[in-house]
Amino acid sequence: MGDENVKIDSESIEKMTDEEYELMYDAAAEQRSGAAGIATASYAANKPLTKFDRWKMNFKRRGWILLFILPALIYVLIFCYGPMYGILIAFQDYMPGDQILGPNTFWVGWENFQTFFANPNFVDFFLNTFLLCIFGFLVGFPLPIIVALLLNSLPRPKIKKGLQILYYAPHFISLVVMVGMLKMIFGSDGLLDSLSAKMGGDANGLQLFLKPESFRPLFIFSGNWQDFGWSAIIYLAALAGVDPSLHEAAKVDGASRFKRIFSVDLPAIAPTIIMLMILSVGNLMSCGYEKVLLMQTDGNLETSEILSTYVYKFGLMGGQYGVGTAAGLFNSVINVVLLIIANTVSKKISGNSMW
Amino acid sequence: MKLRKKMIALLTAVACTVPAVAFTAACDGGAGDHQFTVLAVKEATVKDYNEMPVFKKLNEETGKDVHWTFKTSSQYSQNSDPVSTRGIDAIYHAGFSNLQLSNYGKRKRIVAIDEHLNAMPNFKRILDSRPDIKEALKSPDGHIYSLPRVEEMGLKQYPNILFINKTWIEKLIDSNNLPANVSLEKSDLVDGLDLSRAQFKSLLQKFNSVDMDGDGKAGNASGNEIPLAYVSGNWQGNESDLIASFGVPENIEHKTIVNGQVKFTVEDEKWFNAFQELNGWYSEGLIRATNYTRDQDEFLAYGQDGRYGAFYWWEKETVVKKDLHDDYIIVLPLKDDDGNRYVGVSNELEVEKSECVVLSTCKDVDGLLAYFDKFFEADYSAQLNYGSIESGAFKAEKENGMLIPNDDHGNQSADDFRMQNAPYGVVYLTDEVWDKTVKMESRAKTRLNRLKDYVKPYTYTGATNIPNLNYSESELKDLSTYEMSLGGNIRTQMMRWLQSNSAPQKSEWTKFLSDNKASIDKIKEINQNAYNRYLEALK
Repeated sequence: MGDENVKIDSESIEKMTDEEYELMYDAAAEQRSGAAGIATASYAANKPLTKFDRWKMNFKRRGWILLFILPALIYVLIFCYGPMYGILIAFQDYMPGDQILGPNTFWVGWENFQTFFANPNFVDFFLNTFLLCIFGFLVGFPLPIIVALLLNSLPRPKIKKGLQILYYAPHFISLVVMVGMLKMIFGSDGLLDSLSAKMGGDANGLQLFLKPESFRPLFIFSGNWQDFGWSAIIYLAALAGVDPSLHEAAKVDGASRFKRIFSVDLPAIAPTIIMLMILSVGNLMSCGYEKVLLMQTDGNLETSEILSTYVYKFGLMGGQYGVGTAAGLFNSVINVVLLIIANTVSKKISGNSMW
Repeated sequence: MKLRKKMIALLTAVACTVPAVAFTAACDGGAGDHQFTVLAVKEATVKDYNEMPVFKKLNEETGKDVHWTFKTSSQYSQNSDPVSTRGIDAIYHAGFSNLQLSNYGKRKRIVAIDEHLNAMPNFKRILDSRPDIKEALKSPDGHIYSLPRVEEMGLKQYPNILFINKTWIEKLIDSNNLPANVSLEKSDLVDGLDLSRAQFKSLLQKFNSVDMDGDGKAGNASGNEIPLAYVSGNWQGNESDLIASFGVPENIEHKTIVNGQVKFTVEDEKWFNAFQELNGWYSEGLIRATNYTRDQDEFLAYGQDGRYGAFYWWEKETVVKKDLHDDYIIVLPLKDDDGNRYVGVSNELEVEKSECVVLSTCKDVDGLLAYFDKFFEADYSAQLNYGSIESGAFKAEKENGMLIPNDDHGNQSADDFRMQNAPYGVVYLTDEVWDKTVKMESRAKTRLNRLKDYVKPYTYTGATNIPNLNYSESELKDLSTYEMSLGGNIRTQMMRWLQSNSAPQKSEWTKFLSDNKASIDKIKEINQNAYNRYLEALK
């Protein structure tokens, strides 16, 4: 191996042992970054390795590792990209049983979008969706972070564990049961209204489920009550990775517990927070329709009719698949735009980003 | 070693991938060896059509071998494309919307029945003698894609009768506790009680504040007694006639035809006046929130023990249990301050459009349609609608050539019997049939008489229902957009006015109208045009 003019070709690479290959690879990397060293001297080729050469070398040598991502790749292709051709329905007069691409497809251009935007309630649906989701985000995003920080600074691990279980247990209540509980407590004939009647309130009680203004609070707070403990787990995991010596050092410097949260814990989980924030901004306009649909009553329709319930009712139940798809596509486009904005802003400000 | 690593990686990859791509295709498409197979939407409680005497007789008489398969309505509604069900020739109780019918027709997946009328003498005769039915059945392209259900009794146009609790009023009379503006003797308490809206309201207030059911608590405290009950927005027993009493021809769609003009009741200021008044009724507890949250079944279950002071329903017999039937009497439509009474006309239609469709995959369309054509014969229609003669729905012997319904079903109630034994669906029962071949069942007769005496005479002058209109394809699409939007907005606005802490302001109403002007005008225009075409076609 001491020969200075070893020619690196595919044959010689095949013959190398793994250790030699590692060495050679490092050398090639250094060579490219301009650093000079012994390795460079011994492995310098006649001409410098291009990026493609190195990629080729690498693939030959370690390409089989790529097989590990194959299952995930196939899954994503089949279940995420595969069905995407269905968005073509947005441009068709479609009904189940039709071919999406075939000689008998009824293409209608942008007509479905026109129908959707011409809906007199379009602005209402849009605003309802936006407000419901943005309020949900404003309450629901910081809450688990605060909870995780507080739990983490509890002195006794036993109490911490106990509280954590208590907090995330509601996550396992199914949606239908959850809404059933809400109706039993806040609905007509519910606990709240029975109590108010017993205490001499008027016969109709509060009827929170019939009031448009109480829909968002009920939806958001019940949702967060269910999920804040669960969402806190990921932050707790990040906090577990904080080096205890940092805390010890801070203690020596006389930092209070509160101060330590801000100066040690929070910076440690900042990248996690930002990554999760980008992800949830990307989902900002899609707060699942099932719960909204379950909580809808004639009384609260004014605030509870959102884009996805409209897609469900008009597109699926009303048989207007084209318009439903158009509305869904519109929603997704907004989500993608929001995701890009969030990612760009975070890249500029904190240097953390998804791409 | 290298090889082993590669092998493991490969195996892992393969193992993870196989379940994802391997689909199991388990579908049996065997239609059996019957001549025709028809899919019917049927609840589990209804008897198997294949065992029903009426269908056996139909098979025998037409010489066809028709086999029935079933889906419950919940299974059926989950299938977004029932027409592609394998191995069937037709769907009975298809229940397609106009848009669905037109879409399937356009794609030639269901048969245009008008092209096979030669095989259907009965249906042809009906279409020739009843241009309104023919007009109603047409799809935008002029074809007829479905067989109808026609049951004309004159009942559906008036789905509400107001009943009041006689014993409660008697209690008030006994305790000398009648409201000041009401003077009633016990002898006045018979069907057709004449009350003004103000008097009715005072009575409801008494029902609300006095302990009527004797449980020691007043109605508004225990919540047991409900002064006025109805199921808002339901097809029967809704609040429409309460609102109509303010002088508008209200129905649950808020649209009707007055003297040939399509009208929206919401545009009438009297409609808004109703909510100014009813807002007070609601805040006093005379109308409960439960009238808006309970569905039909909950309403019926809650009313059995006579806890309603007054209620709107189709008939009192289903609302309260048998021994309490006499506790309730019919109230005439409420008089307004000028002494006038008004009742609206509902848009529930007696011609239901898409009861049965034949798929274009059927090998012998004429043969199957000839079989279905028999359904329109009066004897078969009656048996399909009420149950087979052999099962005891009718007396075995005809009287003067007329089928006589059998009211005695042993332990079973008439409702339960019919639910189990009658397949419903494609029938043709009109005045002519009721006069000549089938005697109307007693319950229907009773209700018809009640309507004649206490409801119909007070119909809003000139008001008629909107018949089955024939819309163009683009009209159908526009209607579905605007109607969904407007319907929701009206419901929301009604709830808001009922629940608001102070009486609603007129400015809110004018704002509501201007916000929804586009929808209201568009729906009115589409319906008016379609109605004009309908009148033209009938000429």
